[in-house]
Amino acid sequence: MRLMHTALPDFIAKMKDAAKKNVPGKNISIKGLENLQSAKMQSLRTGRIEKAVEELALRDDIDGVEMIVMPRVPETMHTVVIKGVGKDGKAQKAIVDVINILHPTEEAVLSDCTEIEDRRPPIGRH
Amino acid sequence: MAALRYKIIPKGVIDGKVIPLNVVFVLKKDVDAAGITDDRAIHEIAKNTQGASGISIFDMDAVTTTSDGIMIDGAIIKMGAADNGLVNPDFGILAMAEIPYSDQIVEEEPHLIQWKKSYSGRKLFRGPDPSEKIIPVHNVVISGRAANNNSATEMMDIVTMEEILLPILGQMQCITGGDVLVGMTGEMISVGIGMTIAEKFGRVFPTRQFKAGESAHDCGIYAKTLKKDIPCIVAEKRVLADYTMKAIENGCVPARELGCSPVVLCVAKHMGAEIDVGRITAGAQAELDAVGITREFLAEKIPALSREEILRRADELLPGVENAKKINAKEIVLEKEISVG
Repeated sequence: MRLMHTALPDFIAKMKDAAKKNVPGKNISIKGLENLQSAKMQSLRTGRIEKAVEELALRDDIDGVEMIVMPRVPETMHTVVIKGVGKDGKAQKAIVDVINILHPTEEAVLSDCTEIEDRRPPIGRH
Repeated sequence: MAALRYKIIPKGVIDGKVIPLNVVFVLKKDVDAAGITDDRAIHEIAKNTQGASGISIFDMDAVTTTSDGIMIDGAIIKMGAADNGLVNPDFGILAMAEIPYSDQIVEEEPHLIQWKKSYSGRKLFRGPDPSEKIIPVHNVVISGRAANNNSATEMMDIVTMEEILLPILGQMQCITGGDVLVGMTGEMISVGIGMTIAEKFGRVFPTRQFKAGESAHDCGIYAKTLKKDIPCIVAEKRVLADYTMKAIENGCVPARELGCSPVVLCVAKHMGAEIDVGRITAGAQAELDAVGITREFLAEKIPALSREEILRRADELLPGVENAKKINAKEIVLEKEISVG
């Protein structure tokens, strides 16, 4: 579904463009996507987020934009694949297990902010 | 203007052990006296507390169980997490489920014979009902950096990744002003934590996933290092010995009705009480072997000690916390009062 989702590099480029759209000197820093090598980002939200970046960058009292992407559900369950690889590079055996990872929620990066506008839909809606 | 009283161990250092976040104890009766809801109490305390906090509400008239199945006085009925005044709207507060008494549940969970015999009529709370969670996460609440986990018995700052283990009996001592041991978990506790019993809506597991005699960790020699180097605040050992003996006196047998944790096994051995060694699984025994609780150790006959002697010599007889200092809770727990009108 090429049109429904945005490729990760395109997402990042769009955010940089949105920050500079009206004031070329304004930059954006993006944290939380460093470990993603490839991903398709939800397009429905990509446009809204571009708009939010532009909206903040437009303000005279804002010098730069920070974007932090974090799991909304603070406990994520991950599959762990443990592979034993032979000298020829071929996997000989794999054990598959699971591990939960706890993450901080948005309050960790919001406490220094006086004006917070929460545009998220309830969990379960997109 | 109504007032809300609570107690707090502030983030900091106690005897060289790091307390990674504020640990807050609130009594349900004080919430009721303030005329506000439990959730409002958590939010009000959050607003008045700087930094990351784990906030737990206790009903001291209720009862709960330890992870190895010992029933004790008092229970956590709601847990919260807060960071610089903010409580996450979806994952920041979670209530424990009240378990209604029935003969059927005593049959299904035989360690609850303690409830029938010694705590009749008391409310029982352990962990949350998973259907009350917005999605099926673990028994944890998280707001910002603060995580209040395993039904409020371990807390952490997820960003600094520092953690503190707060077994329920130690928390009760903090509330009542008794003596606690502030130390590091060590290998015995690391192994013991995994020796759980099967409970519906349990402190750690929502279903009856692991039975007495089994190890939830099930990782052989690695169990002793899983939670080996974590600061902890636990009850002085005579308190743990007292409750463990009471469970055994009520007819509970280690590895059958009770978990086969090193403490439970050692108390039973010194009492000369039965241990259902045959029900200790190979996986659990491998973890016990790694800390010296071998089949030979369990089979070795020693003179049975009286209840009074076990209590008197609890510090010497019971394994557990390492590098510990005995401190009266009043020295580390601060009393607070805030207006909540």
